[in-house]
Amino acid sequence: MTDDNGPMTALRAPFTTPALRQAAFCVVGVFSAAAVLVVPALVPGLGVLCLWATGAMSREPAPTVAPPFLVLFPLTVALLVVVAAPTGRAMGAVHRRLASRLLGVYVEAPPPRASKRLGALVSDGPGWRAVGYGLLKVPLAVPQGYGVFCYVFGLVNLSYPLWWPMFRNHPPGTRLGPVWALTPFGAIGTRTFAGTFLVAAAGLAMLLVAPWVMRAGTTADVAAMRWLLGPRRLAERVRELQASRAQAIDDAATMMRRLERDLHDGAQVRLATLAMNLGMATEKLGVDGPPPDLAQARELIALAHRGAKDALADLRDLVRGIHPPVLDNGLGDALTTLATGSAVPVVVTVELPDRPAPAIETIAYFCAAELLANAAKHSRATRVGLGVLGSRRRLMLSVTDDGNGGADPDGPGLAGLARRIAVVDGVMRVLSPAGGPTRVDIELPTHV
Amino acid sequence: MRVVIAEDAAMMREGLVRLLTDRGFDVCAAVADADTLRSAVAALVPDVAVVDIRMPPTHTDEGLRAAIDIRRDQPGVGVLVFSQYVETRYATRLLADRPSGVGYLLKDRVADVADFVDALTRVASGGTALDPEVVGHLMRAGRDTAGLTALTPREREVLSLMAEGRSNAGIAAALVITAGVVEKHVANIFAKLGLPPSDGDNRRVLAVLRHLGS
Repeated sequence: MTDDNGPMTALRAPFTTPALRQAAFCVVGVFSAAAVLVVPALVPGLGVLCLWATGAMSREPAPTVAPPFLVLFPLTVALLVVVAAPTGRAMGAVHRRLASRLLGVYVEAPPPRASKRLGALVSDGPGWRAVGYGLLKVPLAVPQGYGVFCYVFGLVNLSYPLWWPMFRNHPPGTRLGPVWALTPFGAIGTRTFAGTFLVAAAGLAMLLVAPWVMRAGTTADVAAMRWLLGPRRLAERVRELQASRAQAIDDAATMMRRLERDLHDGAQVRLATLAMNLGMATEKLGVDGPPPDLAQARELIALAHRGAKDALADLRDLVRGIHPPVLDNGLGDALTTLATGSAVPVVVTVELPDRPAPAIETIAYFCAAELLANAAKHSRATRVGLGVLGSRRRLMLSVTDDGNGGADPDGPGLAGLARRIAVVDGVMRVLSPAGGPTRVDIELPTHV
Repeated sequence: MRVVIAEDAAMMREGLVRLLTDRGFDVCAAVADADTLRSAVAALVPDVAVVDIRMPPTHTDEGLRAAIDIRRDQPGVGVLVFSQYVETRYATRLLADRPSGVGYLLKDRVADVADFVDALTRVASGGTALDPEVVGHLMRAGRDTAGLTALTPREREVLSLMAEGRSNAGIAAALVITAGVVEKHVANIFAKLGLPPSDGDNRRVLAVLRHLGS
């Protein structure tokens, strides 16, 4: 909403799309809370029903209740313990999706369950936290339900003056019971047409208050979601960091191995050959006096010269692979240079308020390089868009192409990329339906 | 003199072929991996094989393993192992049974063509050629334990050259002294280290290397 006019905004608030979506979220919230209260009671309830149906609950003979109860009670508890975490996860997933659809709030998914075994089912930390969210949903649903109530009955009360003439066109002197209207402060009754305007005023007040009550409810709910449904609890964070540290160490080792290999098979061979050719040339030139074999010496020196140039080119490529010098001028320059080397035309847009940390620039650069190479190699795209959008804290890198899609986020290339950016808490999203187009978004922190 | 070359970098392989051909060697095969090397040596029985340590498929030490196999199966074939870095442990493995007809050199040594050709000829005729780097490692490692501190600097130089596998004449040429002086140094070294005097170059190398604890 661009309108800054305070009262108008307040008046319009109940009728905006966000308010309707909020209301939908609150309605679901109320039903979820009801489900949280009812579902765990269902199992013991069914048990009791069974007992009652078999006549065990009848007063006589009383002792028959004990054995079925002794069996049923632990069974119920065990069933609840086993089912709770996965149910919590499922409910959490639904609420995360609802939050992203209705409230535009993205809550990251918790890490998946370690394994499918029963032990993992019961000791599933994120699952139990989701159960915690489910329980918290009950108090959270109070303001949400209250907001929905104000919303719905605000509209109903507001319409009382319209209904009155239609249904209360009775002859004068007829004595009728009062018409009741529900408000948050109890029911108010009216017997006169003028009274309906009082009801309508109460309805208007309720309607105006409703969005703010609902907003309070959803804000608290979103906070609870981030706290309990997201992946970030200290122990998990530690596990994540351990994994990403191991990844970083692995990457560094692999990098060193590759460097060694590249130097060994590249520059080192060239330089050894060059030294050999120069050694042979020296012999052909002799120690002093006229050279014994000038023609061969010339040829060998030319060979050595070429070898030296090749060795230089090799080393230049290697150095660029380690750290492209153009990155020192900033990500914008580096990406523009990168784009000019691409086989497919690339449109580069970079909007960065500040320079990110050098490590982040390097990661962003190599991600862009890999994604561009992927687009050129696999997608048959005719155009590629490379965008970098930065705020003070996050950097969004997106690579889009109009190719034939089908990029696999779990394939070795993209999965490797995801692992590498996870080291700095980056997130990658891949959208690549078969037939295209492909969009890969990478979100990185601007500082490590 | 017939040579088989095993080197996976084509550039280096061609350079070696050219160098050795130019120096009058008969290069009867130039191959790029260890298995081809084994079959080439078995079929051609050369005087010497020049073997790169790192070759496909694993690029670790297949050349070294092939060299050890060749030394076991065909004792008449000299093996000059050739690498971009030297590992004392590799030298120990190579010299394990007998220090004859074997060499271990850094690739850099081809730059001094005469020295390289000399080393190759030595290996082909049943001698030894150890890289100065390897010998340096051994000398440093054995400085205190092997009583090298009792030697004069000149004697230590002579010992290094002996460990490299050079003959008295070779040592004399390298240090620009007469053969007689070399003989005197050698006798002193053997006396100081308490080694029994030995005549043949190979036996001498063996004695020196054993003493250095390789």
